[in-house]
Amino acid sequence: MADTISGHAVAQAGRALGPGRAGRKSPLTWTGEFVRRHRLAPYLLLTPALAGIALVLLWPLLQVALYSFQNYGLGQVTGVLPTQWVGLSNFTATFKDPEFWLSLRNTVLFAVVAVPATLIVGTVVGLLLNRLGRKMAFFVSTSAILAWATPPVAGSVLFYWLFNPDGGLVDWTLSKMPHWLVGSTNWAGYNWTTNGALQAYTVIAVLVVWQSFPFIGVAVLAGLKTIPAELYEAARVDGASPWRVFWRITFPLMKPIFLVLFLLSVIWDFNMFTQAYLITGELGNQNEYNLPLYIYDKAFTFPPSYGLGGALALIFAVILLVVTAGYVRTSVRQGALT
Amino acid sequence: MNITRSAAAIGAAVALAGATAAIAGCGSSTPSSGASGVPAKLIVWRMGSPVASQETWMKGVVSQFHKKFPQFKNTKVVVDWIPWGNRTQDWTNALTSGKGGPDITELGNTDTPGWASQGALANVTSDVRAWSDGSQLIPGNLANDTLNGVTYAVPWFGGVRGIWYNKDQFAKAGITAAPTTWAELVSDAKALMKAYPGTYGLGAPSDYTNAIVSFIWGAGGQVAVQQGGKWVAQLNTPASEAGIKFYADLLLKYHVSPSKYIGETELGTVGATSGGSDEDFALGKLDMYIDGPWAESSLEAVSKKNMAQWASFPIPSEHGPNPAPAFAGGSDLGIWAKSPYKTADWDLITVMDSPSNATTFANSQGFFPEFTSKLSSGVYTSSPILSGFAKAAGYTQISPLNSKNWATADATDNIIPDMMKALMQGANFTATVNKANTELQNVLNTGSET
Repeated sequence: MADTISGHAVAQAGRALGPGRAGRKSPLTWTGEFVRRHRLAPYLLLTPALAGIALVLLWPLLQVALYSFQNYGLGQVTGVLPTQWVGLSNFTATFKDPEFWLSLRNTVLFAVVAVPATLIVGTVVGLLLNRLGRKMAFFVSTSAILAWATPPVAGSVLFYWLFNPDGGLVDWTLSKMPHWLVGSTNWAGYNWTTNGALQAYTVIAVLVVWQSFPFIGVAVLAGLKTIPAELYEAARVDGASPWRVFWRITFPLMKPIFLVLFLLSVIWDFNMFTQAYLITGELGNQNEYNLPLYIYDKAFTFPPSYGLGGALALIFAVILLVVTAGYVRTSVRQGALT
Repeated sequence: MNITRSAAAIGAAVALAGATAAIAGCGSSTPSSGASGVPAKLIVWRMGSPVASQETWMKGVVSQFHKKFPQFKNTKVVVDWIPWGNRTQDWTNALTSGKGGPDITELGNTDTPGWASQGALANVTSDVRAWSDGSQLIPGNLANDTLNGVTYAVPWFGGVRGIWYNKDQFAKAGITAAPTTWAELVSDAKALMKAYPGTYGLGAPSDYTNAIVSFIWGAGGQVAVQQGGKWVAQLNTPASEAGIKFYADLLLKYHVSPSKYIGETELGTVGATSGGSDEDFALGKLDMYIDGPWAESSLEAVSKKNMAQWASFPIPSEHGPNPAPAFAGGSDLGIWAKSPYKTADWDLITVMDSPSNATTFANSQGFFPEFTSKLSSGVYTSSPILSGFAKAAGYTQISPLNSKNWATADATDNIIPDMMKALMQGANFTATVNKANTELQNVLNTGSET
């Protein structure tokens, strides 16, 4: 539909601009007909944007790919050291490095916890918002949007102070609680952020869920508004429980939305950098790296190694593709995306 | 149409900018023919944050420079202050873009070999040779700035770490003389904790390589040594292991350091603006604190309550009586390779680093001058804070912290901090130290852990 209209428009524009004499086909008219016959208009219209993307995105991407097979670093930029092709050695060095696997483990485990937590909290809030009265819905959504609107840096600093061993609210509260409830750990002065990956990622997971559930909630709410009320009415007449209503009506109808939200959450949580960088002490604790921190450390800490960084970026991109592609494929087969 | 056209234009502009930056980045680093020209201004990068006394000092230096080198009397000297934490990023940006760099830069002395090897610094070998004051420089520190026979910077001031304490606390705990062995250090730390309940005796942050090496050296061990042109890591020799174990045991066995310092530097979590062992010492929550004399101003900024009682002693060696070798820290002055005015740069350096100017400068901020003649004067032994550090300054070591790949080993790969952190969290001692040893040897030799 769209392409026929635009093809028509282009042809018409050609006619208007051309000499316009009957019986003689000007080159412009001919071009217009060619475009229309082959339905090229949408592609022509896309070309400028594609060219822009190619220049700012594809060209650097190609550059990264080239670097990943070189020993490219600062000395190569300044010209005191020769740039050499090093084959696959950036890749083999990465796969041999135990810290790479540790970072990968931290990244995956974090996503395994944070993605479902974000989706569940967000969905519950979305369902709640759908049933609340106007005033209450306004209050809840405003509070949630504020958490969402808080910049990651500000949120991280906030959580850093909440969990600070020197008078942070969390440690102070835990130290005032009875031992039978919170264990006999010396909570006053408990170091959450640099004392181990489990503690640090507990803090980060709470932070990330807090900052990303509002988006899920709002998206779910928007989806819920599209479901015809008759379906819920019929379910109520049949006496279905809310649990059953959700799994039999809401979930199947909103599957495409959930799929998109799931994919976005996976990508966001794999890419989570700011919070991890600030909470774990700016690259000071290698056992708490996730993949983005690991890549940043290898690529940019002095002496920078852009070659190794490029290889890592490619590996990371492939990992993300693998993680998301499998799910997309099965879902397309199930027809959820069509 | 308008939108797509401007999008394409933006795309082209961005690509062009990227291309020019890349071309500029590939530019030659050799000086142009104007090396001896008269610059309108010289840019000096200083590390840290501006302090009034240092700005006054710099004004004096500039007027001397104008008087001594009349050909540069109209040259403006601009000092840019670079926070220590930003220096790597700022140097890298200046190097890769080829723009916005300094003419002269201050460097931490462990920075110099790495940056010289990346082509950031100009060759000053012949200038140093022709410089009359140059012969008075402490030879070992000048050697630190020399790579394969080429000198890239000159030492400007130096400093060593020692242990800070409070005189009144020592008196109340019944400690009459500063500890000179590890056993005394631990018993004194415990005595202080007994006299001041709720405090910790001696802070041992795990991310503190420059202090940990003193304990390795203090037991007679080495971090790594050069044999036949190759680095051999020595973290797992019995002597080195004794030093590593003692430092970890300050937390694990003697309980004189709190567990919250695990993963922290002496200044707390990296990037955090407060909450570290420095702050705890200034507030009286930590009895003994390892750092250099330069910490004084930041300790005062936290609290001035106890400052009249502050004093220092050198880090003890395992069995005494001489202190453990301290890491010889400090700063150098180098000429940026891309600076077009190398003659003027060098002339300004000779004024900034003249024995009298360098000494005034070092004294004003708790450092030591790099000239042998000035170091032996009595001025340092009379100050309670400086006397301990002055004693420590007599026993220093820098290798392998000045080796070409040390930045990779310590900053990128965190080898010693990671090892110490794992040990403090209860990891198997032998396996952890062996792993760090292998990684260290690989990095020192090849620049890569694997």
